[in-house]
Amino acid sequence: MNASRLSSLVRLLVILCAILLLIVLVVPLWRIDLDAPQYPEGLRLLIYPHKLAGNVDIINGLNHYIGMKTLHSDDFIEFKLLPYIIGFFAAFCLLVSAIGKRILLNILLIVFFCFGVISMIDFWKWEYDYGHNLNPEAAIIVPGMAYQPPLIGFKQLLNFGAYSIPDIGGWLFIAVGIILSLCVFLEYRRHKKIKAGAIPLLLLTVSVFGSCNVEPEQIKVGKDVCQYCNMTISDVRFGAEAITKKGKIYMYDELHCILSDIHQKSIDVNEIKDIYVSDFCGKHDLIAVNNAFCLYSEALKSPMGGNVAAFSNEDSLHAYSELLDGNRTSWKEMSK
Amino acid sequence: MKIAQIKILIIATVFAWSILGSCKPKSADSAVSGDAAEKVYVAPGKYDEFYNFVSGGFSGQMSVYGIPSARLLRVIPVFSVDPEKGYGYSEETKPMLNTSHGFVPWDDLHHVQLSKTNGEVDGKWLFGNANNTPRVARIDLTTFRTKEIIELPNSGGNHSSPFITENTEYVVAGTRFSIPPDDADGDVPISSYKQNFKGTLSFISVGKEEGNMDIAFQIQCPGVNFDLSRAGKGVSHGWFFFSCYNTELANTLLEVNASQRDKDFIMAINWKKAEEYMKAGKGRKQSVKYAHNIYDDKTHSATSTIRTEVTVLDSKVLKDLCYFIPCPKSPHGCDVDPSGQYIVGSGKLAALIPVFSFDKIRKAIANKAFDGEFEGIPVIKYEEALFGEVKKPGLGPLHTEFDGKGNAYTSMFVSSEIVKWSIKDLKVLDRVPTYYSVGHLSIPGGDTKSPNSKYLIAYNKITKDRYLPTGPELSQSAQLYDISGDKMKMILDFPTIGEPHYAQACAADLIKSKSLKLFKIEENMHPYVAKGEKETKVVRKGNRVDVYMTEIRSHLTPDNIEGIKVGDEVYFHVTNLEQDWDVPHGFAVKGASNAELLIMPGETQTLKWIPERVGISPMYCTDFCSALHQEMSGYVRVSPAGSSVPISFGTGKTNPEEPTPATTK
Repeated sequence: MNASRLSSLVRLLVILCAILLLIVLVVPLWRIDLDAPQYPEGLRLLIYPHKLAGNVDIINGLNHYIGMKTLHSDDFIEFKLLPYIIGFFAAFCLLVSAIGKRILLNILLIVFFCFGVISMIDFWKWEYDYGHNLNPEAAIIVPGMAYQPPLIGFKQLLNFGAYSIPDIGGWLFIAVGIILSLCVFLEYRRHKKIKAGAIPLLLLTVSVFGSCNVEPEQIKVGKDVCQYCNMTISDVRFGAEAITKKGKIYMYDELHCILSDIHQKSIDVNEIKDIYVSDFCGKHDLIAVNNAFCLYSEALKSPMGGNVAAFSNEDSLHAYSELLDGNRTSWKEMSK
Repeated sequence: MKIAQIKILIIATVFAWSILGSCKPKSADSAVSGDAAEKVYVAPGKYDEFYNFVSGGFSGQMSVYGIPSARLLRVIPVFSVDPEKGYGYSEETKPMLNTSHGFVPWDDLHHVQLSKTNGEVDGKWLFGNANNTPRVARIDLTTFRTKEIIELPNSGGNHSSPFITENTEYVVAGTRFSIPPDDADGDVPISSYKQNFKGTLSFISVGKEEGNMDIAFQIQCPGVNFDLSRAGKGVSHGWFFFSCYNTELANTLLEVNASQRDKDFIMAINWKKAEEYMKAGKGRKQSVKYAHNIYDDKTHSATSTIRTEVTVLDSKVLKDLCYFIPCPKSPHGCDVDPSGQYIVGSGKLAALIPVFSFDKIRKAIANKAFDGEFEGIPVIKYEEALFGEVKKPGLGPLHTEFDGKGNAYTSMFVSSEIVKWSIKDLKVLDRVPTYYSVGHLSIPGGDTKSPNSKYLIAYNKITKDRYLPTGPELSQSAQLYDISGDKMKMILDFPTIGEPHYAQACAADLIKSKSLKLFKIEENMHPYVAKGEKETKVVRKGNRVDVYMTEIRSHLTPDNIEGIKVGDEVYFHVTNLEQDWDVPHGFAVKGASNAELLIMPGETQTLKWIPERVGISPMYCTDFCSALHQEMSGYVRVSPAGSSVPISFGTGKTNPEEPTPATTK
């Protein structure tokens, strides 16, 4: 089975995302509820992808006293663009599902999250302008007061309590983000056979993108698969690991496999952030390869013939080098 | 594995939702304290503690409620016609609504003032203002009827009115809309506001015994809008304080243009000085036209006279008369505390409440601590007059009343609440919500030297969901609060008639015992009275017919009238002969384009009718007066215009009486 093809479950989930995004087009994305003593019935501003709705006229009527601009759907370029952007993502989902390439899925997820972040920043900026850019001739001017609505959550503005929260569309959008993250994770796990176990999905979602400080993972012999040769890692004494700048972890039978992968250009040497190798003795903890003391000896008989053992300290190196008749080496030397 | 993940996802989502959900604060419950019902229940047969006189606003009437039960006791017609009572319809009451513009059937009654003696309510008279055709009315609290109305010349809008000095020396009115004075050429462009439009304050003297009103003098002021006012008392007796806005002197889009300046003014007027100027002949006599209408309880008739002269003092020219004190942002209320020392300004667009000290004002004037002049009137430096500011009390302060215990209560329109604060240390002590958007407050005696600190009533501008809905138009809401303790407690919520702008309350005892039960028939000096059935007659003079009629349980005398012709001017002068308590009679006749008469025992009222068709018109008593009320009716025969049917009338005879020759033509 080609590991870069998406599983049927993931494809179905991606199609589900497309459907949810289509729903987002016709339901409100966001809402701001306004609460004041003289408004027992409450006031609501609804933001659809294509327009403003709710008590827009009443809110405009009230806000003119404090000099806020009146809101009109036509004034917002976002309402012209959003439907197309959301439609684009729906189409993109369908495309990803049809083509089934994992790389497309990953791109989709990244672009989707970027879009989400950009949208929130745009929303915040609009709210800032709305609340600060006041008409100087307004009837009621409270010195030093600005009326920026909250981005999300509650804020008291004069006699109004403003409560900003996603509406159905917003939640669906978030759900799509979560489902796409789940898809990427599923694909990743399927490919790597890493047990997620009890790790909360949310934490993993966070760790999938932009995580800078990834700790090396303990290699599970008999379960983890060598990235280079696709064979189950069998010898705990030689296992090695490469971590990319993006935080992806690749497991290998031994250091020699990493070299082969680099040589074959299956992995971009410039993308590698850290390389770890198992301590040949002791508990076989992973050591950063540049801190490791390496020994080359044919007597080692490593799984893929690299025949290099790594030690966390020099004493162990000396002990084994006497025992096995080998030469000291280092990752630097091996990489040449 | 996947199921576990989905479970985790659901839990995580629910968790996130609940966090966000708990961010929204719960809206406060409109909780009423447990013993509220006891406090407001006035048992059948028992009386309320207070009479609450409430302005009707755009209804033009004055309503009377009992406090604490909030029972509506009466609606007194003042500036609007009331067909139920024949007010403005009967010949006797029509002159009450006469003005220099003719008969005006409606006006807008904003504020109420009870007459005072030595700074306390004396229960004699009640004054109300008309905003549209500027007038002040006096209501007699023995009969609860409008006794006198005086029109105000040189005035447009009469909002800052009526306000009374400590001993009812003067009832003072101020204009809301500045206009060119009556004797100037008023045909000027509106944009010449700054040059040509003036504000006017009217000082109406009130007779000590009878209460008769007379415009003692007017003061011509800059073209600001006068909003509210209070007389000084105690230490500040002899001074009057007016809140002014639109010092921008704008004439259009006031919403924006009159809200620009950071500070408007409170105008302090030394009226004792004005009296001196008047004595010294410094006033300018102006030729004007204004109506003065007075109702006489003996003749049961109103007479309207047009007066033609008023004396005006010019604030620009006369020194030491008026002073401006800066007050933040379009002040509305301007209220003087019971001691007369502290003057509280409420800037309706301000976020603080400034409190001025009278002693400081006097000192500032003596030391000439002025910040220039505005339209010729010195402006006192803000800090020199200021006692202190109440910081961040709420939004949109409008009006303040006092409880006599050193506390002030200010209504906040925008944040829909009442804020209690201590005058001495300017600290907010308590706040309660009102439902919704309170305008004015009323504490019995709240503007006197010794307020009664038991109750506070808030009159609100927005009702929405407080009561059962009645279509798009809802009555205004009011709430009653118990302020006898440290914290204010709402105890009752009730709808009001019209739109109350202000109210004043008076201890029931002051009025109860003096309330007239009936008019003595022997004192009736109405020109067309019939003091007994023997005096009833029908008299023709040309095409005018006067019917001298009486009503007593349960018949009209005469109840059969013939000889009326189409086009006659028929006057039914109906005297209620009863001398018993609560036996009014009504009167109506078919075909009269008029209202009914409602006549109290011993009273005479006249209904005018011009018959326009031939036939029989029934007439009857409209007020359920007796067991045989249904039988209290009669007929009028209307003959064609040139007919020779003679006048004849009677009750109880099958054949009508022959008229005596002298009474027919």
